[in-house]
Amino acid sequence: MKAVAHALLEPGFFSSSQVHVAVAVGAAAAVVAAAVGSFAVLRGQSFAGEALGDIGATGGAGAFLVGVGPLWGFLAMGSAAAAVMELVGIQRARGRDLATGIVLAVGLGLAALFFSLDATYHPTTGATQTILFGSIFAVPGSTVAPAIALGALALAIVVALHRPLLLVSASPELAAARGLPVRALGAAYLLALAVSVALAALTIGTILSTALLVGPPAAAMRLSARPVRAMVIAALLGVGAVWLGIALSWDSFYWPPSGHGWPVSFFVVALVVVFYGLAALPRAWRSRRCGQRHGAPGQPPTMPARGRRPAVGG
Amino acid sequence: MSRLRRMFAVLAAVALGGAILSACGAGTTRRAPGTVLAVGAENQYANVIEQIGGRYVTVTAIESNPNTDPHTFEASPSVAEAVSAAQLVVQNGLGYDSYMNKIESASPSASRKVVEVQKLLGLPDSTPNPHLWYGPTTMPTVAGTLVADLSALQPAHAAYFRARARAFDASLSPWLGALAALRSDHAGIPVATTEPVGDYMLQAAGTVNLTPFTLQADIMNGVDPAPQDVGAQESLLADHRVKAFVYNQQVVDPLTESFLAAAKRAHVPVVGVYETMPTPGYDYQSWMLAETDALRAAVLEGKSTQKL
Repeated sequence: MKAVAHALLEPGFFSSSQVHVAVAVGAAAAVVAAAVGSFAVLRGQSFAGEALGDIGATGGAGAFLVGVGPLWGFLAMGSAAAAVMELVGIQRARGRDLATGIVLAVGLGLAALFFSLDATYHPTTGATQTILFGSIFAVPGSTVAPAIALGALALAIVVALHRPLLLVSASPELAAARGLPVRALGAAYLLALAVSVALAALTIGTILSTALLVGPPAAAMRLSARPVRAMVIAALLGVGAVWLGIALSWDSFYWPPSGHGWPVSFFVVALVVVFYGLAALPRAWRSRRCGQRHGAPGQPPTMPARGRRPAVGG
Repeated sequence: MSRLRRMFAVLAAVALGGAILSACGAGTTRRAPGTVLAVGAENQYANVIEQIGGRYVTVTAIESNPNTDPHTFEASPSVAEAVSAAQLVVQNGLGYDSYMNKIESASPSASRKVVEVQKLLGLPDSTPNPHLWYGPTTMPTVAGTLVADLSALQPAHAAYFRARARAFDASLSPWLGALAALRSDHAGIPVATTEPVGDYMLQAAGTVNLTPFTLQADIMNGVDPAPQDVGAQESLLADHRVKAFVYNQQVVDPLTESFLAAAKRAHVPVVGVYETMPTPGYDYQSWMLAETDALRAAVLEGKSTQKL
């Protein structure tokens, strides 16, 4: 086992405190993103997730201005944007993309202002790169505890509410008829989404955070139709992508021209895409076999109705 | 009809407002009669122009805010105006102030003299460290060129410019002496930095910068650093393998702050360095001397000078 690890990993990986922080924060982000993101895919709120991530850039840039860690900026701006989206009308399918798009535009406009103010009045240099594309190895160790606590909070929200959330996601009308507080559920979910996006932004940047949020759940839903099992698979895929991405980024330091690693975010996003592609294989294989046996390509057998709701709302 | 009239009224108001604004803008560069209008892209160059040109120059510094990073500076319309009106411009080059080239080519002038310090020193574009003013031979060379350019613009005062350049060169000797003393008595002292801003001075003082250059370049360029480099830097500080931590006060991010905290934990003395001349209270030579004295106090007495 140790020999395998040493064959795959360049020296110093396990003793590096940067790697320890990255592994902890990245895993928390991936697990929470898988759970929360699964609902985003089911609810057709991928675009909302993407928008909350992008708006995180505004918070991150603002955080540099006032001199606090970017995580708090991501979180504050994400929650504020989620609240505005909820108020403007994210719960109605028709107004949803409009509300999201308008909030996104305003948020990115503010991000442009804050980045400009950062550059003009504050001695920051890496702000743009760090916030947009992530800088997991530069995350200070003191961020680990709050990141894990926030992740636990978001995870607790979706675990506690997963049954009503599933029903609301599958059929809002039925849920309302049963007397479920559809709007409150939506608001609680958006809060969890904002937290999850903040953690993902810390790991791979605000622009790419959506990859962690949507990619593993989308891949997992190709592998299993059962929501809870799909969430577990998504969490495994997400953590796998992040940890493997961290390991590859570590190794890339020794690739020619040596002495300059490739960013973690690139590897994570590339792996997520690979996982998504590979996840289509079992089903394609199955449907080909079904086709040979019955003469016509059939529907995948186990996909329930709610799983086939539009996967991407953007 | 009334709608059309209202539109005209609005347009007129906008045009008037624009005229007032542009009049205000033009009034900002006030030039003493008979002087050369000069611009220093960074205030250390503006300071040297002032020292050589004396009462025959009116100098504007583009970058002088000690709380910003010049690497990410964005030029505003007023900067463009100051540069396009200037007869003499001094800029660093090496991509450090490339906005100057853009403004200059946008407002071409056959009579404007542009001193690009990179070209003056004959440095290739691939030179990794752009912070040329920390090098002890840079400003004397710049001063020599300024004498020639100012004399061409104002031939009547050539002797005055020459005399001031001699005085400037002489006033650098305390700094050069301090560098030479450090180099001869304590050569090879290990130091760490966040960024290569002071590296030419550190070399001239005979110190050895143990921070990997890739990390310095990544922090300077705002690129995600490799964890191996970050780990190497942390152990330099935590194990107290360096005598001073030279900290760029103008390129700061959570990573540099975590290094600063690590240095303080390990009681490694900190020396603050700057991208532009800290004002008020300093001219170029007293700034450089203060930096070198702070370095000496750090490596010999373990004393921090985090801010000048």
